[in-house]
Amino acid sequence: MKKKRVLALLLASVMTLGLAACGSSDDSKKESKKDDNKLTIWAWDEAFNIKAANVAADMYKEDHSDAEIEVVTMAQDDIVAKLNTSLSSQSYDGLPDIVLIEDYRIQGYLNAYEDEFADLSDIAKPEDFAAYKTGVNQKDGKMYGIPFDSGVAAVFYRTDYIEQAGYTKEDMQNLTWDKYIEIGKAVKEKTGKAMLTLDPSDIGQIRMMMQSAGTWYTDEDGKVNIAGNQGLKDAINTYKKLVDAGITETVSDWDQFVGAFNSGDVATVPTGCWISPSVLGAEDQSGKWAIAPFPKMAENADSVNASSIGGGWYVLKNVGNEDLAKDFLKETFASNVDLMNQLATDINLVSTLKAASSAENYSKGVEFYGGQEIFKDFAAWTNEVPTVNYGENTYEIEDLMTEVVQAILGGADIDKTLEEYQTQIESVVAN
Amino acid sequence: MADMTKKKDMSPKLNRTGWIFVLPSIILIVAFVFYPMVQALITSFQSGAGNNLSFSGLSNYKRLLTDTTFRKALSNTVLYLVVQVPIMILLALAISSMLNNKRLKFKGLFRTAIFLPCVTSLVAYSIVFKSLFATDGFVNAMLVKLNIIAEPISWITDPVWAKVLIIVAITWRWTGYNMVFYLSGLQGIDDSIYEAAEIDGAGAFQKFKSITLPMLKPIILFTTINSTIGTLQLFDEPMNITQGGPANATITISQYIYNILFKYSSDFGYAAAVSYVVVIMIVVLSFIQLKVGDKNE
Amino acid sequence: MSRKIGNVFQYIFLTIASVVSVFPIFWMVIASTNKSVDITKGTLLPGGYFMENLKTLLNSDLQYMNAFKNSLLIAVVTTALAMIVSSAAGYAFVIYKSKGRERVFTIVLLSMMVPFAALMVPLFRLFSKFQHMGPLKVIALNTPMAVIIIAIATAFLIFFFRQNTQSFPKELVEAARIDGLGEFGIFFKVFMPTNKSVYAAAIVVTFMTSWNNYLWPLIALQSPEKRTLPLVLAAMGSSYTPDYGMMMVAVVIATIPMAVLFFIMQKQFVAGMTGSVKG
Repeated sequence: MKKKRVLALLLASVMTLGLAACGSSDDSKKESKKDDNKLTIWAWDEAFNIKAANVAADMYKEDHSDAEIEVVTMAQDDIVAKLNTSLSSQSYDGLPDIVLIEDYRIQGYLNAYEDEFADLSDIAKPEDFAAYKTGVNQKDGKMYGIPFDSGVAAVFYRTDYIEQAGYTKEDMQNLTWDKYIEIGKAVKEKTGKAMLTLDPSDIGQIRMMMQSAGTWYTDEDGKVNIAGNQGLKDAINTYKKLVDAGITETVSDWDQFVGAFNSGDVATVPTGCWISPSVLGAEDQSGKWAIAPFPKMAENADSVNASSIGGGWYVLKNVGNEDLAKDFLKETFASNVDLMNQLATDINLVSTLKAASSAENYSKGVEFYGGQEIFKDFAAWTNEVPTVNYGENTYEIEDLMTEVVQAILGGADIDKTLEEYQTQIESVVAN
Repeated sequence: MADMTKKKDMSPKLNRTGWIFVLPSIILIVAFVFYPMVQALITSFQSGAGNNLSFSGLSNYKRLLTDTTFRKALSNTVLYLVVQVPIMILLALAISSMLNNKRLKFKGLFRTAIFLPCVTSLVAYSIVFKSLFATDGFVNAMLVKLNIIAEPISWITDPVWAKVLIIVAITWRWTGYNMVFYLSGLQGIDDSIYEAAEIDGAGAFQKFKSITLPMLKPIILFTTINSTIGTLQLFDEPMNITQGGPANATITISQYIYNILFKYSSDFGYAAAVSYVVVIMIVVLSFIQLKVGDKNE
Repeated sequence: MSRKIGNVFQYIFLTIASVVSVFPIFWMVIASTNKSVDITKGTLLPGGYFMENLKTLLNSDLQYMNAFKNSLLIAVVTTALAMIVSSAAGYAFVIYKSKGRERVFTIVLLSMMVPFAALMVPLFRLFSKFQHMGPLKVIALNTPMAVIIIAIATAFLIFFFRQNTQSFPKELVEAARIDGLGEFGIFFKVFMPTNKSVYAAAIVVTFMTSWNNYLWPLIALQSPEKRTLPLVLAAMGSSYTPDYGMMMVAVVIATIPMAVLFFIMQKQFVAGMTGSVKG
């Protein structure tokens, strides 16, 4: 008898919780309006995008003294996790008004949570930015994001090693990968140093080569494009040539990657321009570095350089202060050349705002790089990056592509492997 | 010892007290585990990205059958389980029974040292391990110097050694943790039992086998089930040390679930379906262990 | 004779185990005294940058000390509540053994087996409703209670206490009843004090789990001033140019409370059964 009563009590309490949970989901939506003049911004790098947001906030506050702006550092994975859980339950409490999202991810968000992002077409025009950056942040002709940094790829290299190997700065201009490998072999022979580092778990190198040929894992319509993708095939072949040439050093993560060039173990670092602050970290190497355009694949009708990861600012519509957030972006990242000018020196930001190339600091030489006007170069290369459609599934596809690359390096037939994975990736992405 | 004579005549009052003792826990567990579990089960029959979910029957479960990454994650997880759990349990048992030896000196020092790994934060632990096991790192340098290996091992970038590294890392981190349970369990064993055995001429191993092991059985069962569950849900180590790489060679099921939820295009339905497969596996394994463990009581 | 050899072997074995265990931590402490660039190069020598790293840490926007306080509050409250709630259940499953409760226990065990990642999204949806439910507001998202409440009754702890209660002499309970002690009195005044080593282990483990808990606080705690230590540490690590020196200082400081707690509690592991357990 008693047992029954206890069970009833238990059931009742469970039901209360259940009812509560199923209950009114609508009243939670609009209640989280905050103070009218407070903005929250999320980004993930203390030394880079957080600093940029802070500088922008200070500039904005000069004209709008009543605005209150809070900039929050959060791990990028954590931002992604929080956006997903919060947006999917439409619980906006504590979400930011403005958030930085990586280019590779944004199409996925725009498709999954279309109504959660504000249309920014009225505060910025795609033509004002480098073309490849605005392909990803539009959906149905509306622009949802303000591009932030250029991830334009380049070859950072040690002039001293290259010279010891018998080559000059001129040789490093307009490189093809074949020439790059030739130089690499000479470097290895004369100095004993590797030409570059490779991480078997990260095929960013292939991504950059592929984009330089104007292709991606997905085609213009977002369909999986693996088998018969000539750009991808050439990229994998080039990658294999690099490995086979014996001029690479294997690293397993970011710290080792940075550690390798900081301690002078490699002659070149072919990657996005955002690596510059890390290169600058080794102060004792000042004057020994220079930067060349990204090599091209001679066998492919390609462009000079490619882009790597960059991000853009997005406004969440239902959090609260949509209008203020838009106004903030309009006056800062969407137009402000002074801001870009200052960020160039503060955080080595290479802007994708076309107007930024007229900024004063863009034509200043940087001593660390032997006086090279690096921002001018980066800005020029940025405008040449081919536009591709990153689609929604870059990371999903890439995890499988690392397997492809490992298989091909191990001797598997490239066409067959790509075909095999085409079907496999299609089945993963189809959902 | 355990003469749990089943008394059928528990008074209703005592019975009620029994329920009062367990009720708070049950309410909390039902609300915060079972209720979400049911929700997840429902979600596992839906598909779509983010909020665009729609009912799709068994399609998520069918997709599992052809998903090669899932198969990889599953076999890795089982491998970790079969290799790592026994090693760790035996190590922890050996260490704790040594530390229980009255005549041992520097007991506190050893105990603290061996427990320390599990207090380190994951961030630190993963940075340290990656650095120590780098190709030109400390561990390789030592092994080469000691002539154990001729060539440095690619611990993190070789598919086989990366798995070994994960196993080493988990063992390093969790042996001290299990030791704590055994040490607390050993306090329940009266010293006089050991003394009597010694008078009978039993050696250290003999004592371990015929006193320590049987007396610790409930706790060994507990830690084994616990480690099994922990390993089947393994997430932190591969996520932080190898990121599941190279080429998914060390990925685990929990990490795959996390990837589906957050790294990829947040397919809540598929993630839930994958989780349910894990739940079923764990349930089956735990009940086998419980049955085996309870048999000779 | 053979005992001597056995002893020597024990010392060697334990010494190796200790060195292997401590070495990475030693490395971590060394790293906290070095500059970031030197850490990535893999130095094993102490440097003079500890204070500088500490300064960078305290001056950053990360609110490190605040996160430390939050973590401490959550871990202490969680542990205290869990010791009462979960141990009461584990105790009752043995002392008041009945068919019904055995069955309930089996179901409780089940709850241990779901990967947390799977529960996260539904759990978040559930908690997001509490905001508007009167008294349940105390456990709404973005409060420390939201993190505490799901950790005070765990199948793990209930199971642990149940297993340990099995070797607890039932005669003690009977004796206490004859002495006129109530059922709650027996639990609090007889069971708890005689099982100090069990509670010590449970406290250490619960505190540790709470201290390192990552996924749920990440989702449940929204505003930056509510964040716990693991979240702040993760935020540091995701920078393109991480300052490892600062991170290592942060990590070393974050390790101290756990180490101290273990140091205090470990006396209990060797203290033996207190009171007149064995008659």
